[in-house]
Amino acid sequence: MEQQLIQDSLQGKFQHGIISFDESSDILTLTVKKQVVIEVIHFIKEELGFHFLTDLCGIHYPDQELALGVVYHLHNFQRNIRIRIKTFTSVAEPEVETLTAIFSSANWMERETYDFYGIVFVNHPNLIRILNVEYLDYFPLRKEYPLEDQTRTDKDDRFFGR
Amino acid sequence: MENLEREHIFVRPEDYDKHFSTLNLGPTHPATHGIFQNILTMNGETIVDAEQTIGYIHRAFEKLAEKRAFYQITTLTDRLNYCSSPINNIGWQTTVEKLLGVETTKRIDYMRIIIMELARISDHLICNSVIGVDSGALTGFVYLFQEREKIYEIYEEICGARLTTNLGRIGGFERDFTPSVIRKIREFINHLPKVIRQFEKLLLRNRIFMDRTIHVGGISAERALNYGFTGPCLRAAGVDYDVRVMNPYSSYNDFDFTIPVGTNGDTYDRFCVRQEEIWQSINLVKNALENLPEGDFHTDVPEFYLPAKEDVYSKMESLIWHFKIVMGEVQVPVGEVYHAVEGGNGELGFYMVSDGGRTPYRLHFRRPCFVYYQAFPEMVKGSFLSDAILTMSSMNVIAGELDA
Repeated sequence: MEQQLIQDSLQGKFQHGIISFDESSDILTLTVKKQVVIEVIHFIKEELGFHFLTDLCGIHYPDQELALGVVYHLHNFQRNIRIRIKTFTSVAEPEVETLTAIFSSANWMERETYDFYGIVFVNHPNLIRILNVEYLDYFPLRKEYPLEDQTRTDKDDRFFGR
Repeated sequence: MENLEREHIFVRPEDYDKHFSTLNLGPTHPATHGIFQNILTMNGETIVDAEQTIGYIHRAFEKLAEKRAFYQITTLTDRLNYCSSPINNIGWQTTVEKLLGVETTKRIDYMRIIIMELARISDHLICNSVIGVDSGALTGFVYLFQEREKIYEIYEEICGARLTTNLGRIGGFERDFTPSVIRKIREFINHLPKVIRQFEKLLLRNRIFMDRTIHVGGISAERALNYGFTGPCLRAAGVDYDVRVMNPYSSYNDFDFTIPVGTNGDTYDRFCVRQEEIWQSINLVKNALENLPEGDFHTDVPEFYLPAKEDVYSKMESLIWHFKIVMGEVQVPVGEVYHAVEGGNGELGFYMVSDGGRTPYRLHFRRPCFVYYQAFPEMVKGSFLSDAILTMSSMNVIAGELDA
């Protein structure tokens, strides 16, 4: 019911910006184009009452054309609904508009995302690494930097009957 | 002549504002209670600006988690907020259970509530007694640390470890509460109110303590929400958001408890909110212990819950499961899940994306400290250095949680 309302009002306003709605996972998830993501978040904050930015993080799908993703979790305290917004961008052009003008809490979360995924948040007031050292020249959470793999590739499948 | 000399030695009053000095508070300063740095720009004793540098104990947990079997990630969560590791452990286990769609029995839920509330008590005890230390009252700290020791003894009895507990398993607990655990919890819960009352007598209406903490490091509810505050710090600002009530997990909705809120969001309010939460937690533990239902202490999730040792030695199926679990051979369904628990400092969230493999495809920890510590400069600008230290300790910034 609530989800339908959110879906309708968003679809009315951003017909072309919204790529998909997904109700199959635990939270209503929508994927939007990166050009409109800030507008969408501003709209759902001001009009739909999602006043709390719970979480912001990056994700990397190396097989996709738009490989780098930013995942926003917002929460409406009054009606107790959460929403997840995703936007994707390519590794070659990793720019996404910053959310710091709307949520002050986005500042460090975006720095963390930049630090680990190299997603550049345009107009961010202080986009520098936060947890890693400044002279690191790669983005460690991207999938091309493998760890020693204990469960997936190291083990020879023959020994496990697969 | 005398006047001229004085002019050379002293800064003229109109130039006071131009002479800022830089003060490094940290990384290893006793007042930070952890390894992180605050670079303060000072005008005399007043703070003009502050900038935090964090990441000194960053251990790449999110990267490590992408290559670990699910049961091995519990040990990573221990090291987030190490003052209340069982909450992190159980938060992670319930996240996996949510992804798997496992329903736990009431007994498991109540056992978890007992442990989590004990952990919350120990977290708040440390934070509040340290606020006392930073304002110059060491006595309360010594009193309360004795009680924390008892909580650690209870952990020890339950899981064998004290600080980084690795407590519980996916699907329940590795063993049931022994009669001695129940006795220890009961003794502790009966004894604690006396000590807390003693502690409150020392500080709560103490003129010096009140002068040091009231209107120090305050933040408005609106700014606190904008900065993503959760937990006692948000409630001190007057917003009654508590994950235990808003999105009840582990049967918290069976219990009746109140959420204390403050008004100013200052250090004193944060202290009082934590203090009241200790009282609420005591009642929760009491109620959960009294109403502890009979039943199994673990759910039937053979893919994740290690079978009993005697079965492993005598039954083929158990041996296979044992082997598969230990080797991390178990796959989970494809899915995406966000699960939050109320940690010592607020909403501790786990965002997990699973691609159907044996490890999370992506795991992000929403660490409450990390999110709200960025408000620190705004909270201390214009206040004195000693107030900044009190503000910091009342925010309960835990370096492990800050850096993940």
